[in-house]
Amino acid sequence: MRLIKQQVERDGSGTVTLYPEEPEDMWHAFNLIRVSDTLRASAVRRIVSESSTGSTSSSRVHMNLTITVDKVDFDSQAGQLHINGRISEENKYVKIGAHHTLDLELNRNFTVGKAEWDSVSLGVVREACDPAEKAEIGAVVLHEGLANVCLITEHMTVLRQRIDVSIPRKRTGSITAFEKSMEKFYETIYQSILRHLPIANLKVILLASPGFLAESLQKYIFAEAVKTDNKVVMGAKPKFVTVHCSTGHVHALNEVLKSPAVIARLADTKYAKETKAMESFFKMMQTDEDKAWYGPKEVERAIEKGAVATLLVSNSLFRSNDMQERRRYVRMVEEVKASGAGEVMILSSIHESGVRLDGLGGVAAMLLFPLQDLDESDEEEAAEEANDAEDNENL
Amino acid sequence: MSRHKIVRTMNLADELDDFDGEDDYYEEDEGMSPADKARMANSLRQVREVIGDDIPTLTDGKIEETLWYYYFDVERTITYLLNQVGASEKKKQKKAAVPEPKAREYFTTISSISPEHTSPGFWDDTPFGSIPPGRRGELLPPPSPIGFRMSGLLGGSGIQPAKTSKLAALAKARNKAKAEKASDTTSSGTSGTAVSLLDRLSKKKPDIPPATRETPASAAPTVPNISKLEQLVEKTTPDLPKNEPVHNTPSIPGPEPDTVLKAAPSGFAKSMFGKRIDETVEFKQEVTDTELIYFSIAPTQKAAMKAKQAFDVPSPDDVVIAAQSQSKGISKVSKGEKPSSSAITSIQKGVEALKVADTSEKPVPAKIPRNKLDVVAEYEKSKSKRKENANLVVIGHVDAGKSTLMGRLLYDSGVVDERTIQKYKQEAEKIGKSSFALAWVLDQTGEERARGVTIDIAVNAFETERGRFTILDAPGHRDFIPNMIAGAAQADFAVLVIDSSPGEFEAGFNVRGQTKEHALLVRSMGVQRIIIAVNKLDLMHWDQERFDEIKQQMSQFLTTAGFQAKNVSFIPCSGLTGDNIVRKPADGLVPWYSGPTLVEELETAKPVIKAIEKPLRMTIADVYRGGVTNPVTISGRIEIGNVQVGDLLVVVPGDEKATVKGIEVDNQAAEWAVAGNNVQLHLAGIEMEYLKIGDVVCRADSPLMPLKEFEAKILAFESLTPMMIDIHRGRLNASGRITKLVATLDKGNGSVTKKKPRYIGPGSLAVVNIAVTGAPLPLEKGSKIVLRADGLTVAAGVVE
Repeated sequence: MRLIKQQVERDGSGTVTLYPEEPEDMWHAFNLIRVSDTLRASAVRRIVSESSTGSTSSSRVHMNLTITVDKVDFDSQAGQLHINGRISEENKYVKIGAHHTLDLELNRNFTVGKAEWDSVSLGVVREACDPAEKAEIGAVVLHEGLANVCLITEHMTVLRQRIDVSIPRKRTGSITAFEKSMEKFYETIYQSILRHLPIANLKVILLASPGFLAESLQKYIFAEAVKTDNKVVMGAKPKFVTVHCSTGHVHALNEVLKSPAVIARLADTKYAKETKAMESFFKMMQTDEDKAWYGPKEVERAIEKGAVATLLVSNSLFRSNDMQERRRYVRMVEEVKASGAGEVMILSSIHESGVRLDGLGGVAAMLLFPLQDLDESDEEEAAEEANDAEDNENL
Repeated sequence: MSRHKIVRTMNLADELDDFDGEDDYYEEDEGMSPADKARMANSLRQVREVIGDDIPTLTDGKIEETLWYYYFDVERTITYLLNQVGASEKKKQKKAAVPEPKAREYFTTISSISPEHTSPGFWDDTPFGSIPPGRRGELLPPPSPIGFRMSGLLGGSGIQPAKTSKLAALAKARNKAKAEKASDTTSSGTSGTAVSLLDRLSKKKPDIPPATRETPASAAPTVPNISKLEQLVEKTTPDLPKNEPVHNTPSIPGPEPDTVLKAAPSGFAKSMFGKRIDETVEFKQEVTDTELIYFSIAPTQKAAMKAKQAFDVPSPDDVVIAAQSQSKGISKVSKGEKPSSSAITSIQKGVEALKVADTSEKPVPAKIPRNKLDVVAEYEKSKSKRKENANLVVIGHVDAGKSTLMGRLLYDSGVVDERTIQKYKQEAEKIGKSSFALAWVLDQTGEERARGVTIDIAVNAFETERGRFTILDAPGHRDFIPNMIAGAAQADFAVLVIDSSPGEFEAGFNVRGQTKEHALLVRSMGVQRIIIAVNKLDLMHWDQERFDEIKQQMSQFLTTAGFQAKNVSFIPCSGLTGDNIVRKPADGLVPWYSGPTLVEELETAKPVIKAIEKPLRMTIADVYRGGVTNPVTISGRIEIGNVQVGDLLVVVPGDEKATVKGIEVDNQAAEWAVAGNNVQLHLAGIEMEYLKIGDVVCRADSPLMPLKEFEAKILAFESLTPMMIDIHRGRLNASGRITKLVATLDKGNGSVTKKKPRYIGPGSLAVVNIAVTGAPLPLEKGSKIVLRADGLTVAAGVVE
């Protein structure tokens, strides 16, 4: 993404014009554009004109439209962003208040206007326009009968294809059915890799499975590449890395990305860092539970006490349509930053680590020093609630 | 071995396709190593020196084949070849009359393989020798080389040269019969069956002096006998393509009783089979019955008497035939009778049957008549007659010797024959893993053998005098615990194998070891009885101290895991040597142990009582093509309820319906099955794509509602937070998320100790909410689930 123009006033209001270059930029735009923002982008709209005689003719007109956003919809598979809204600037074809859905397109400018550009929003812009080298990796996690072909970019994990086949089990005296369908299973995965992963552009392709499946798959891939004389795959041979994981479900990516073989190759990428942070949080939870807290209330209290060393926030929280709630999280981030002692990590909610964090309510913190009973009043409330409920019943 | 498979293996085309044992044999031949080739050339030369080049039928290829078969034993090869030449020359004259090349090919294949198995005394040292004749049929799966043992071409050992002449006569007689047979035969499938029947029949002929057999008068009775056997088969399998002329062939010799039999076959058959059906379970006895009836109407000549004598004892063939007659074909014949007989027994039952009938009147995808049996009553009736089948899962740390122990058990109890073991030994030695030979009985895929690790559960059955057992050999490697869970979910009790060698027990017993994890898993799946097989004690010189040390540590752990002391027993044994598994250890080897052997201990374990009257629930453990006539077959263990032929089933999740076309319980065709049975259900009206391993089949009138989100009461093994998990239930393996920790509970009385806990510590009891990531799962209240994350079993529990 390129920043074309940034015009933010002192009171925080203003507009930013951006130029998206790659599919991932749609994800950034999705994190940036919220309900009630204004958005100006190019659009094609069907215009019906009525002549004086009453006959109508319709034509498609290309124009720039400005809308007030009602709904933002992101399709991660296709990398498309659809924004519903109402026209806020009139032109000769459309009236104010008419509905329109803008589909943001690559290589066309769009302008976002907000009443309040907070630090998190500006952070998203900064991050999106960071020209640092992008490391994309492909990953196939599989177990017998199930394979997930994923593409992991700096900010997104996209499940490109899920392969779920029924494989007959070995039976006494007959293993041919089993072996045949395993062969077919590998074949399907191989074809899916060719179709869905841009092998030439990827930094590494991870094959992860429990047991020996990944190795067998790797063997199959190269055997097949030699057989079909697929130069791309053969040339990418060093990129294929087999990793151990415990299951073939997508969430095994957590395990895969923290394995030493992967960390060695991808240490400085954002998602490797995110995975590592989540991992250390869970470890702390088990070993030193008073230093690891999750949930908005608990973390808020820890921040009040100035105890937070690392704040982990999922960016799904900042997409909230409720301004109050969003402000609350922005304040948390800003306070931790202001305290000087703390570090803030905003995790992408469509990475597996972000999904894990969302499971904890989207916000978690590792503390500098142990704190106890941050959730205490919560229980009191719960007890009160229970009492109320009982009272109600009694009444 | 099911009769479907028997029929299938008779079919030549299928045989080439599926026939494992023989396939191996040929593959072996092709995959000869250079060293073997050198040996081959050398041995061939030796044989040629002895035999000379003057026998035209003895090609180099033939000699090589024989040599390979005996694995370069020159002496045995020569003996066999010489005998073979003698026999085949006589055969050749007859063979010219055989118009069907397929059948002939089949025969030559057999005769080239057969001799070793028939050498006298060969089986004396195996447990086969001591099995009562009536039960042999079950232990003789025709596709395995044992089947060929009956083909009657003797030789090989050459210990009794006198036999050759008898054999020659026998071969002649058989060829004659075959020639008549083959001239009538049109369809290869039928011819395969018939020929093999003939073939087996001939096995018992050596009792009759060759002289009598040669005369045309006495040859006649055998032919009608055969024809009647065929009639029997035909009557019982009306569905199969049959060839009419078969009836006419025997009528040429024209003994009167034959026409009598032809005159009223249906009534006779009805009475005969009606009786049989009533006693489906105990077929040993009825075999004798049918046989008596059958042979009493045989020609009243001298030969008939002889034949009767010869056939007095039910032979394995008869058992097989009887079993065939129980297949679907016969069940159709009997269908009219069965409900009526049950209706007579009690009116109430009839009413119940009607009730069942009401529910099945929905549109059925494929019309399969339903018998409207009262399965529960049928089950009660048959209870006393049959041995209960118990499933046992074999668990333990990786490389504890689970597969080897079970391989040994199957070998010593006669399920696996000597030849197979020898073959495995040779192959295992070739890749330098000779100690794995026994494990190869269960580890059958290439990967498992190459790596020496069990990957998926292997299912095998064996029978002792007091019980039937189905072994589920679970993988020990921690990556394959999902497969182990699938096995444990089907088990009544568990055999935990422990490696007693130094350091190995400890390795399995520490935190990341599977000894503990497996024990906890089977316990949480509801297994109460556990037998600890302290294995590899031969390496420890049967040291009592070591045994006691392991016993003490394990007892302590198992008590905390929730096993009652009376349900835990310890058996010292060695899988590799076979001591104290089926047979007692040699005298003085283990002076300090006088308890039961492993098998004796197994016999004391009783299968768990199941709820058979509830609606059907069965998790699909496997989906496959069950053969030509059964394109869609599922297998598994019925968890709850019962099923019968004609039932309309629904597969959950999803709404696909199917009708039960046939049922096999423990590889025996049956009309119904109840909870606890290991069944194969042949389905009609559904495509294989709609059946997934891990799905649950239910009766269409009482389906399961799949769940997307549910609450579960769990026992945590590791600390839990809201997190991603794998949900396992039997073969089902799905991804999900703990969304909310509802409360932790007191272990004693189940009362809530903390609401909305922040995390759940290891060992605590809790209630959590779980959301399924993908499609809804076939779970219901009371389903036992196991939760795993990052390769560890984090919790086990029950859906609330």
